[in-house]
Amino acid sequence: MTQEQCRHPDLLRRFVPTPYVFSICDGPNRLLVESNDLEIALRVRRAGVVHRQSNRAGGMVCKLIRDMAGPVEGSEMTIVSDGPLRVLYLGRGTLLFHDDERSELLGFIARDVKAEELVSSLIPALLDA
Amino acid sequence: MPFISVDQTDLHYSMELCFAGAACHLRTNSSALAGVLEGLSISRGDTVPSGFDMRVLVDDSTDEAAGEPHFRGLHHLVTASFGRSNVFMFDILRRTLTASVSVAIERDGHFWKEKLIPITLGVLGSAMGLVPVHCACLELDGDGLLIAGVSGAGKSTLSVALSEDGFNYVSDDWTYISRRADGIVAHGTSAPVKLLPDAVNHFRGLQGHSLQTSMNGELAYEVDIAKAFGARVERACEPRWLVFLERTQGVGALFTPMSSAEARRYVNSSVERLPPQLYEAVAMREQTIQRVSILPCWHFRYGGTPQFAAKELQEFVVQRRQEVYV
Repeated sequence: MTQEQCRHPDLLRRFVPTPYVFSICDGPNRLLVESNDLEIALRVRRAGVVHRQSNRAGGMVCKLIRDMAGPVEGSEMTIVSDGPLRVLYLGRGTLLFHDDERSELLGFIARDVKAEELVSSLIPALLDA
Repeated sequence: MPFISVDQTDLHYSMELCFAGAACHLRTNSSALAGVLEGLSISRGDTVPSGFDMRVLVDDSTDEAAGEPHFRGLHHLVTASFGRSNVFMFDILRRTLTASVSVAIERDGHFWKEKLIPITLGVLGSAMGLVPVHCACLELDGDGLLIAGVSGAGKSTLSVALSEDGFNYVSDDWTYISRRADGIVAHGTSAPVKLLPDAVNHFRGLQGHSLQTSMNGELAYEVDIAKAFGARVERACEPRWLVFLERTQGVGALFTPMSSAEARRYVNSSVERLPPQLYEAVAMREQTIQRVSILPCWHFRYGGTPQFAAKELQEFVVQRRQEVYV
């Protein structure tokens, strides 16, 4: 069996490396930001909107992937909510998950969405919905 | 901005279903969708201990048909969308599927049977002790035969040829394996058999069917094996052997033993890598893969038509059964 046959597929792009990692501690709370995009990581770290959510012990984990391989079609925003979970879809290529119980904010950001829009518009829309 | 809350108090229709050995508790606001899914459900037999919840809200303000699929996942969460109005959110840790779909999808039995149910089992299966393995499965008099091989090795054409030759069909591409106290069980989903365009040269039953673009972009025939070929379909069986297919040039057939380490590598290669957050699912899956890999395994190198390979494989299985029972 060749090495190629043994390779695990990453069809969902779960394992995109996220070399930009920032950790902020504020008393018992900790905000961990991971991204493959430096601008996204920096802006989320600075944004009070995420920090505001980390007011519970244990803080919050944010993992945000700049998705260069995904589609960029559409600009309509939809939020689907079920119990502790919420997902925001922007067009076909941008999606953000928020798991309130696990204090996790995860997502894929299409290449046409600016980091500024993510922090000032999309993340607040998801967390405040 | 549309805000869709899948509030369980609005989902008036509740039902216990079963897909490929996985119990499913369905809640939906649509009696039509409940009827479609009930029609695809099988009676509970060998079910895995942990089932999943499916909560589906039908949005009657849209009739958008299924669009291009788009999948992404991080940590324990996975999403699949088929156009703007058909979105599916999988939570692997909580074993739930939450969806908002259009009225066009609500009644589209093919979509649920051929796409959504197999996708759901693939995504949530590991958390339920159900391992999706890239192999076909056929059954002869209660004994299951798993047929593995890389894409293009001929799993599907051989499955059809074996089905025409006395075997019962369980699956041709993805088989869902669960553990039980005394062994393993292989489950199929009744998904259509997928045959590449040149299969029409070997199977007259394909005449009259047209090629379609499948989810991975390949052009293929996707047909109901029972209707197109008159095959008998079994929902589940107990696998006895694993055969790894390899095509060779020229006509011929050769069986050689395969080590369990090699079988394990193959099965491992076909399952999706899971993130560290799902360590319990990974551990459970490892135990099932271990059970699969200790089945008697062979390489089957063959050249020639699917019907020729099926005859060789049938003789091989008959010999193996005599070895077991003598």
